[in-house]
Amino acid sequence: MKSARFDYLRARSVEEAVRALADAHGEGKIIAGGQSLAPVLALRMARPALLVDVNRIPGLGGITRTSESSIRIGALVRHSALMRQCDHPLLAEVAGWIGHTAIRSRGTTGGSIAHADPSAELPVVAAALDAVVRVAGPRGSREVEAGDLFVGALETSLTEEEMITSVELPIPQRWGFAELSRRHGDFGLVTVVAAEIEGRWRIAVGGVGSVPYRPAEAEALLADGPLTEVTIARAAAATAAGIEPSTDIHASGDYRRAMTEEFTRRALTRATAAPDNGAA
Amino acid sequence: MPSMSNEPGGETARRSVGTTVRRKEDGRLVTGRGHYASDLELPRMRHVAFLRSPYGHARIRGVDATEAAKAPRVHGVFTGEMPEFSAITLRARSALPSYVETDQPILAWQKARFSGEAVAAVVADDRYIAEDAIELIDVDYEPLPATVTAWIAPEEPVHAAAPDNVLLQRTFDAGDVAGALATAPLVVERELVTNRHAGNPMECRVGVALWDGADDKLTFWSGTQVPHIARNMLAELLGLPEGNVRVIAPDVGGGFGTKAVLYPEDVALCLMARAMRGVPLKWVEDRAEHLLAATHARDHRYVVKAGFGTDGQLLALEADVTCNVGAYSVYPWTAGIEPLMAGGLLSGPYRLENYRCTVRGVATNTSPSGPYRGVARPASVFAMESLMDAAARELGMSALDIRRRNLIQPEEIPYRMPSRLVDDSGWYGKCLDKVIDAIGYEEFLAEQSRRREAGENPIGIGVACYNELTGLGRAAAAGPRMPFRTGHDACTVRINPDGRVTVLSGVTSQGQGLETTVAQIVADAVGVAYDDVEVRIGDTNESLWGFGAFSSRQAVIGGGAAHRTGEAVKEKALRLAAALFDAEIDDLRLEDGQIRRTGEPEPLASLAEIARVAYLESNRLPEGIEPGLEATRFFDPIRGAFAAGAQAATVEIDRSTGELRILKWVCVEDAGRVINPQIVEGQIAGSIAQGIGGALYEHLIYDEAGNLSTGTLMDYLMPTSAEVPELIIDHISMPADNPLGVRGVGEGGTLGPNAVLAGAVADALGTEITRLPITPAAVWAAIQ
Amino acid sequence: MNVEFTVNGACHSVDVEPRRTLADALREDIGLTGTHLGCEHGVCGACTVLVDGEPVRACLMFAVQAEGSSVTTVEGMAGADGTPHPLQKAFCDHHGLQCGFCTPGMLMSALDLLHRETNPSRERIRAELSGNICRCTGYVGIVDAVEAAAQEMNTAG
Ligand SMILES: Cc1cc2nc3c(=O)[nH]c(=O)nc-3n(C[C@H](O)[C@H](O)[C@H](O)COP(=O)(O)OP(=O)(O)OC[C@H]3O[C@@H](n4cnc5c(N)ncnc54)[C@H](O)[C@@H]3O)c2cc1C
Ligand code: FES
Ligand code: FES
Repeated sequence: MKSARFDYLRARSVEEAVRALADAHGEGKIIAGGQSLAPVLALRMARPALLVDVNRIPGLGGITRTSESSIRIGALVRHSALMRQCDHPLLAEVAGWIGHTAIRSRGTTGGSIAHADPSAELPVVAAALDAVVRVAGPRGSREVEAGDLFVGALETSLTEEEMITSVELPIPQRWGFAELSRRHGDFGLVTVVAAEIEGRWRIAVGGVGSVPYRPAEAEALLADGPLTEVTIARAAAATAAGIEPSTDIHASGDYRRAMTEEFTRRALTRATAAPDNGAA
Repeated sequence: MPSMSNEPGGETARRSVGTTVRRKEDGRLVTGRGHYASDLELPRMRHVAFLRSPYGHARIRGVDATEAAKAPRVHGVFTGEMPEFSAITLRARSALPSYVETDQPILAWQKARFSGEAVAAVVADDRYIAEDAIELIDVDYEPLPATVTAWIAPEEPVHAAAPDNVLLQRTFDAGDVAGALATAPLVVERELVTNRHAGNPMECRVGVALWDGADDKLTFWSGTQVPHIARNMLAELLGLPEGNVRVIAPDVGGGFGTKAVLYPEDVALCLMARAMRGVPLKWVEDRAEHLLAATHARDHRYVVKAGFGTDGQLLALEADVTCNVGAYSVYPWTAGIEPLMAGGLLSGPYRLENYRCTVRGVATNTSPSGPYRGVARPASVFAMESLMDAAARELGMSALDIRRRNLIQPEEIPYRMPSRLVDDSGWYGKCLDKVIDAIGYEEFLAEQSRRREAGENPIGIGVACYNELTGLGRAAAAGPRMPFRTGHDACTVRINPDGRVTVLSGVTSQGQGLETTVAQIVADAVGVAYDDVEVRIGDTNESLWGFGAFSSRQAVIGGGAAHRTGEAVKEKALRLAAALFDAEIDDLRLEDGQIRRTGEPEPLASLAEIARVAYLESNRLPEGIEPGLEATRFFDPIRGAFAAGAQAATVEIDRSTGELRILKWVCVEDAGRVINPQIVEGQIAGSIAQGIGGALYEHLIYDEAGNLSTGTLMDYLMPTSAEVPELIIDHISMPADNPLGVRGVGEGGTLGPNAVLAGAVADALGTEITRLPITPAAVWAAIQ
Repeated sequence: MNVEFTVNGACHSVDVEPRRTLADALREDIGLTGTHLGCEHGVCGACTVLVDGEPVRACLMFAVQAEGSSVTTVEGMAGADGTPHPLQKAFCDHHGLQCGFCTPGMLMSALDLLHRETNPSRERIRAELSGNICRCTGYVGIVDAVEAAAQEMNTAG
């Protein structure tokens, strides 16, 4: 289980990285934490001609409080650092659910978002919070909303020469997180984030489709009143009603749908339980 | 627990057997200085990669390896139709009447019969280059319909010799089943299916082959559990004098049966080494290869029917057992390994007269099934205990009472099971009682009904009683009627001129700590300190003979041989001492390395002084005593030793998700006399964890086309420290009828969890689990 | 490509293909075979080492990425005089290993845990070591060992 041959560039700046990607004409790939890419390379399911290592680029590892209610996470912020920060308790909680300690000490925020694994946690948070992803390309930088970023399983709207440099996320007033996984640290079968931002509830579900799912109807149901057992139940049911999850070796579609309802209920219930801690 | 002893240089008057001594292997293993075959680095070494079939079933029309052969830093490309490969096949033999012998090619060339079967091999400077080169090999496949389920008729048979894919079928028959079932007050019928899973040792398979050109000597370093068998088979297959073949199994990173097989890759490596004399060839299997092509196990279906009396007495058992044996009859154990074990031990620890059980091994386009810790019984115990639980529910009895009603009792020993195996244990009830004490049965029942009333998440209890047939001697190992009988092992004990002891034992170790336990046995048998005994294992050039590690045989058989040999050497040392000191041999003892005469406070001499005479001062040797202090003995227990065991667990089920949480787990086993309590507990804990893995998580799934869907550890889920609960382990010690009184404990732990967990879920929910593994999705579906 | 990093305090310079993993470089180019490979796709944890003090899967990092880093492997755990680390001792005392194949990775993960937490509960130990698969022990001895080592390290100050 050894990677196919590739060239390697240790990029010193974002400009150098995106230039190298552009010059590689689609044959280049960024490596950040490598926690998703390296296994794919080892299995020879990807064979880029060039790996652009972004780990040594200065300035991408910071967490900045951009306002009272938002935070910017550099692309290279490791999952372990997300766990340790206190500005965004939802992110801190969620990061702890990603894999295991040695995965979290390498895996990066940018990498997780860019990898767009339908069962990964951070894309669900990004979708729930309408995160804004800042992207650098050969012709300058742009911003992409999470909703426009994830286009399919392991597929984003980024071009092959673009690179995520940071992600900006609002800090929710209240939030709840709930995940069902087979074993400790496994990718979620169903992952639900519920968050209240400026008085509006948002819900995102991972693991039940090719991209994180935002149930518009359920969110609308929660718009006109306080969260109660009844409204939560209705929103959870509406969330589950809107999906068509497929069956795979880990769970049937029916099960995933039922768990979507259950874990949406749990996430919303946790969100109401304690103002600052919506964790299990 | 017995007290610690044998700190270096410390007081050692106490015996070593029965105590927890410091393991001899640990010092090197915790510092990263172990010697695993995968660590081996030799001058001029080259690396091997195998090309594997992407199809579950396909005709191979041709293999074009010209590009690969031309690639830089590639030194050899080998394919199955090369005469030296096509001339050899692995043909597992058995004299059982219905058995259909089939051939397993070294590298598939006419047909590929499972996804992952090796089709070609490349030798290159390093593994990276070798993997590059296999991508350049072009194989022309013609896909054929694949069969992955053993109880579905094949569209295209796996082997022409077996058109219905049945490689073996046998019926066990005792008493009058039809009559007993016709009159039984209660008849319970079930169809139960168990999940395919595998040993998955953390070190995958490894082989390093070196063919010394000058004198045609082959050295094969391997993670094998069976070096002597491997030597014997390699010599025969390659046409070499057996003495020219040396198999070395150094430190091995786990085995669990998976490595008790001679694989085509092993033979391929040796054939390639013959073609490239003087060049050591190394192959380290990667995990994807391991999941695809190392042996699998436990893919069974049980169609069972049992008759019970109103008092819960088991009156009759009729069973039809189908085992998916995969694409080949595993070498050398045959396709009989799982079906015969299932049929032989299905009735387990229960008294039974009327028994009719047809077992069959059916070939499919999947990786061959082989021995995996517990061989078939995790599945057969699940089947038997499911019947017990079902009958108990029907009869309104408790799960405990129905078992107690049927368990074979000590006074019935020796008990001849309906499969004609002879049970020498009978201590099942005692194990069960201890388990139930420890689990806190009364409190559990109270809490269970409290929750029922309160409408909280339900809890349930599951129990399993089982027997493990261990240390099979020549009479007990007769089952599969292979051309060899695995009843004996040899041991050589050498007292060196300095009075310290070297043991050349035929046992092997993949983590079971045999260097330690054999040293304990020999230390006591000879009468020296544990620290003065060095044990060498795993090298066919050192030990005389050993069948290796399987069927929980090593403590009983290898340990028995070590004990006998140690006593023989001691006898010689005492005879020599008696002659030198003009004493009666019966007045002399050897203790702590000192020769003592009864009644005298001071020792006569140290063992070192005696040994010095034996080797260096032949002038002082009395008439009739040869120089040297060494003995070699064999041991064969003739029969086997049954080990009784019982497990119970309480679980809580989350009604809304089907998730199961293990609240408490208890296991009590009869290890006979315990050589090393810590090692015994470690074996039991490890095997329970594997059993839990098989019951809840591990599942090798093929799609209909014959592709393995669970090809990495992201999908093949082994339990971690977060899933395996704290385990309460206890034992009873009923000495077995062998020189050390030991019973094997290597496998028993795996036998309980399927039955325990399925039983606990059924107890909690009132719905039975008939298919494994017990996933949250399956439990949830059962609740709906 | 040439790459330089220190392993257990000693500086190493190796010439490797960019695709060579840190694990292979440690094992085959530097000769430190204590770091094991159980899956090569990040799941089993056998290859866990510390890179600049952080636990890392050596199978998921390329050697070239370690340029200038300081790597600690199981071979570097013992004291300079060869005194075993309390974790190594505790693994021996509590039967925290059988075949020993998972042990180097297990020790590295446990070392990282005890760097961060001086008094982890058994639950915590179980959660934190869940990235390392042991197929032999059922984890009982491992959890015992880490618990005991934590105590030992606390009393030793
Ligand atoms: C055993 C194991 C368990 C895991 N469990 C989980 C889990 O439970 N939940 C979970 O979410 N993840 C899990 N992961 C994956 C882990 O979280 C990864 O860290 C993450 O998905 C990818 O981040 P990375 O920095 O490692 O990215 P890499 O692996 O380096 O890259 C992943 C992809 O993103 C691209 N990329 C990386 N950085 C950028 C960037 N800045 N801009 C554009 N493209 C970029 C790469 O080119 C590549 O295609 C697990 C991994 C392992 C090995
Ligand atoms: S070998 Fe690196 S995690 Fe398994
Ligand atoms: S001791 Fe063998 S894998 Fe852990």
